[in-house]
Amino acid sequence: MKITGKLLKGVLCIALFPALAWSQSLEQFEERVTEFTLDNGLHFIVVERNVAPVAHFFTLVDVGSANEPVGRTGIAHIYEHMVFKGSKTVGTTNYEEEVKYINQMDDAYKAWLREYNKFEPDEEKLEELWAAFEELQEKAGEFVVNNEFTQIIEREGATGVNAFASTDATGYFYSLPQNKAELWFMLEADRFINPVMREFYVEKEVIFEERRQRTDSNPFGRLLEEFAATAYSAHPYKNPVVGWPSDIRNTTIQDTWDYHEQFYAPSSFTIAIVGDVDPAEMRRLAEKYFNPMEYRDPAPELLVEEPTQRGERRFVIEERSQPIYMEGYHTVNNQHPDYQALNLLANILTNGRTSRLYRRMVVEDQSALQVGAQNGYPGSKYQGMFIKFVIPNQGIEMEDVENTLREEMQKILDEGVTEEELERVRTNARAGLVRSLTSNSGIAQIMAFAHVNGGSWKTAFTDLERLNDVTVDDIQRVAEKYMIKSNRTVGMIKNVQDSSVVSN
Amino acid sequence: MMLAALFTAACATQERTTQGQTAQQGSQSIPVDVEGLVYPELNQYQIPDIETFELDNGIKFYLIEDDEVPLINMNVIVRAGSFMDPADKVGLASITANVIRNGGSEAYPENDLNQLLEDRAARIEFGMGRTSGSVSMNALKEDFIDLLPVLVDVMTDPLLPQEKIDLAIRQQRSNISRRNDNPQGIGSREFGKLIYGEDSPQARVTELYTLDNITRDAMVEFHSQAYTGENLMIGLVGDFSVDEIRPVLEEIFSQVPAGERNELAFEEVDYEFESSINFVDKSDINQSVVFMGHIGGLRDNPDYAALQAMNEVLSGGFSGRLFQNVRSDQGLAYSVFGNYGSSALYRGQFFAGVFTRSEATADAINAVRHEMIRLQEEPVSAEELEDTRNSILNSLVFRTDSRSRVLSQRMNNEYLGLPADAFERYIDELMEVTPEDIQRVANEYMRPNEMKILVVGNSSELGDQLEQFGTVQEVDIEIRDTPPGEEEESVAGDAEAGKEWLNRMAEALLPGGSFDRDFVFEADNFVQSPMGEITIGVKQTANFQTELLISEVSAPMGEVVMEVRDGSGVMKMGGNEMPMPSAQLEQTKAELYRNYLFLALNSGELDAEFMGMVEKEGAEFAHIKVDHDFPMELYIDPETSLPAMATYRQMDPQQGMRITVTTHYNEWTENDGIYYSYEAISYADDEQVARVVVKSHSLN
Repeated sequence: MKITGKLLKGVLCIALFPALAWSQSLEQFEERVTEFTLDNGLHFIVVERNVAPVAHFFTLVDVGSANEPVGRTGIAHIYEHMVFKGSKTVGTTNYEEEVKYINQMDDAYKAWLREYNKFEPDEEKLEELWAAFEELQEKAGEFVVNNEFTQIIEREGATGVNAFASTDATGYFYSLPQNKAELWFMLEADRFINPVMREFYVEKEVIFEERRQRTDSNPFGRLLEEFAATAYSAHPYKNPVVGWPSDIRNTTIQDTWDYHEQFYAPSSFTIAIVGDVDPAEMRRLAEKYFNPMEYRDPAPELLVEEPTQRGERRFVIEERSQPIYMEGYHTVNNQHPDYQALNLLANILTNGRTSRLYRRMVVEDQSALQVGAQNGYPGSKYQGMFIKFVIPNQGIEMEDVENTLREEMQKILDEGVTEEELERVRTNARAGLVRSLTSNSGIAQIMAFAHVNGGSWKTAFTDLERLNDVTVDDIQRVAEKYMIKSNRTVGMIKNVQDSSVVSN
Repeated sequence: MMLAALFTAACATQERTTQGQTAQQGSQSIPVDVEGLVYPELNQYQIPDIETFELDNGIKFYLIEDDEVPLINMNVIVRAGSFMDPADKVGLASITANVIRNGGSEAYPENDLNQLLEDRAARIEFGMGRTSGSVSMNALKEDFIDLLPVLVDVMTDPLLPQEKIDLAIRQQRSNISRRNDNPQGIGSREFGKLIYGEDSPQARVTELYTLDNITRDAMVEFHSQAYTGENLMIGLVGDFSVDEIRPVLEEIFSQVPAGERNELAFEEVDYEFESSINFVDKSDINQSVVFMGHIGGLRDNPDYAALQAMNEVLSGGFSGRLFQNVRSDQGLAYSVFGNYGSSALYRGQFFAGVFTRSEATADAINAVRHEMIRLQEEPVSAEELEDTRNSILNSLVFRTDSRSRVLSQRMNNEYLGLPADAFERYIDELMEVTPEDIQRVANEYMRPNEMKILVVGNSSELGDQLEQFGTVQEVDIEIRDTPPGEEEESVAGDAEAGKEWLNRMAEALLPGGSFDRDFVFEADNFVQSPMGEITIGVKQTANFQTELLISEVSAPMGEVVMEVRDGSGVMKMGGNEMPMPSAQLEQTKAELYRNYLFLALNSGELDAEFMGMVEKEGAEFAHIKVDHDFPMELYIDPETSLPAMATYRQMDPQQGMRITVTTHYNEWTENDGIYYSYEAISYADDEQVARVVVKSHSLN
């Protein structure tokens, strides 16, 4: 069967049309969004969406691993795990008794740590201290009602219960049938107003397993961790979100309380509720349950600036897994005027089958199985990086991969990009937003992040308008400005079959 | 309620004094009283109707209007899958789907198609799984109708160009070379093979040697079986009116040929329960990936509801027992899961998995098994069952929380041939499940003491932990380029004639007879490198009796001496001496044992098979297979009895696959009663990698 292409001829005359069609959402949303800030500084965004009788609740805390104190990497993530342990009334048979043992247990752990971290620890003493700690841990455990918090919400129909910690922020979320919104308010306020450090040290074991799973036993995980640690000198973006192993070990309950005190001020919170809900009722419940969260000074700001890099950095992991290539350049934070141009450049390089690197490396010279580029790694609240990674095909030399990336960048530096390419990635960026606005959770995330990053949920839409201001000259200019050798970090995995072949 | 408030206040004080908290937290917070909450009625909700119709060619349509965003989304279920792949062409179905999309059609070839779509931020994708395929299109409503003929043209009349087939196969090869990097991937792949058998349609995977057999003809044939009306179910959800779009769909899709309906028929799984411990050694991980279980059941089972309730108790969300006990209580894992699988098309798998630190592997296995046994030994409490049931019932509303979900559930249900009310019946039955039912099905269907356990772990960290589970069987995950066992099974040649040819070669190579002195040659080695051809001077001293090999190499970067003696090797460079890495030692030894002089000197002890006379590049040669620790094949010139060519296979670590090394021997020269080839050219697969020009050879 053949259907011949009258369509191709029609393409040009409607090429400008999609930009319009994809951008009708801001007005639509303005009617459906209600926002308010409580006296303590906590901000709510409520979006009515009556597609089904359900609602999604997303608590975004504007604090991430970048805010962690020295020697306590991973604490943002540890705290995130603690939030699931309940509160002073949920998850315990008697908190008053339980907390006594928790505090004693922490003291016992600190005593063990002091011995452990000595130059020559006394093995016998270590064992004694550990036994004492374990005994208290067991006593504290006697009061635990295992996972009562999640038991309650799952029994009531919660789905998608989860949380995340990143360099820039920490988020907690789940969905409920819409008539149970008050349950969410009651428990969410409770777990942040009355937090506990329940089962703290067992949970750190779980976190160590998470680290082994995502990083230690995963080639890409190992590469990414090494990459950030190489690329950054001063800024905490150099640290893995999950934390360095010794930091996880050295982190105590006391440390985690201090962290909570400093950073979990109500003004750090933005909560988005999206679904079949009544905004007035949401406001009433927000005031009822979250007003008791006491005002605290806003979290201290991170003032570290990454100094200008003086020369290219480079590392090779020689191991038994297959090769992966990665490079990156320090760029800007997500409020900087160059941020959008850099995002568009990343898309011109690797987004879709028409993108430059996909065409060149995956299709034409077939050097790459996969190629990707992204601006804003490992985070974008502070100065992130523009990264590219290449999964080479079998038998391809890393030198060839690297040379091809240089050649393609040189083309952009010499000749720039075309209007057509720029328009295409703009259209796709708009489409991406529209597509993510088709679920409660997608809307909640976009709105909350836009509020935190840009100061208003509306920036999710106005940022797209700003894309129109980016010109082909801007793309060339940011390429010239940031993609320079001395600002570059290159990291790769090279395959070595026998671990003894690792070269000197 | 009062009591709770008092507690909270008291605790806040406690905390302030012991931990120096500044805020008087909790003193005014609203006490938690979940039982006291009164929920309003759930808002009214009308599950959207699905408009269905069928064309004469068998295509079934399912449509739901949804004007939330100006998009239309189409999802096609294709009644086909890799289960249809012939045994020697595994990978055919998925590569065909890939090339349909990446090759485009005559009217819309690759580049035009991609540009056409991406200019409008539209998407068309083709996919193929084991038991179903998919085609999808997502576009702005304005573009959707225009793009429909494009989709249909690409789907029904793809170009399947050879260059895109080659590309897809190359990518598959790369994927295969990477598949052992990920321990979880290894775990689920190999566990599936343990349950269903490695050649079964349920568990087999694409291999280098099955890719070798995939031809364009085979793809054309698969395409004609898969993308036909009788095998298509098409779902649309989005901003359209059914009345307007239906005639368009009817017109465009009526052009698709009807074809024949593919049967989703599988042979009964032949499974024998047994207890076994299977192990994959992976030296670069510090966490064991454990899968354990046995065959599962069918969806069409009167105990389905009780089994689902049991699954929920065992591993539903954060509340499941595995999560609670293995993770939260014992800190043994971040990921732990388990499920009795009931599948519609063939028996599912019952399995649990846990990813745990190497040292805790046996403890974690026992902890998971303990939870299975507990389900068999004690009935769940009425409260736990009630919570489990409520969790399922209260979250039912999420099953239909979007129009696309409603649509895909209906389509999947019909695809698998389940009764229309299958889900409603399950819910009705779930209401009736008792603690005794759960205990009964736990005993009837789960056999915690007859499980196959698979551990992907690091042997240097594991110690002897696994031995308590039985005799550990190593699972071989090496990537092969020939089917297992094929090399041994290949047609046996003539052993007597082979021996004869080997002796003739020995006589021709050594007119001076056998020798035990050191053999020395000097040569220039021209090597192909990324920087172009480089020249390396080599002086090599070999003793084939004492198995000594000394190579003195003058490379552009300096002098290196490599010495293999008494089974071990050293490298000397710039006054430093270091042991030769084991991989290189093996390589060097192989060089010694594959030397034709070694073969000639040992022709009496070696076995060889004559595979027949073969023609190569216009001349005829005797093809000999030499069987020893380093197997190889020789092509002997019948006129001179000298080897004209040698081939062998070896693993190339850089490529993660085996390659064929071929060496051509020319310019035979005699000295000290020994013939030696003065020009040897080597190829890796078909690419020239080195040329050795010998300047002299002698005995010392």
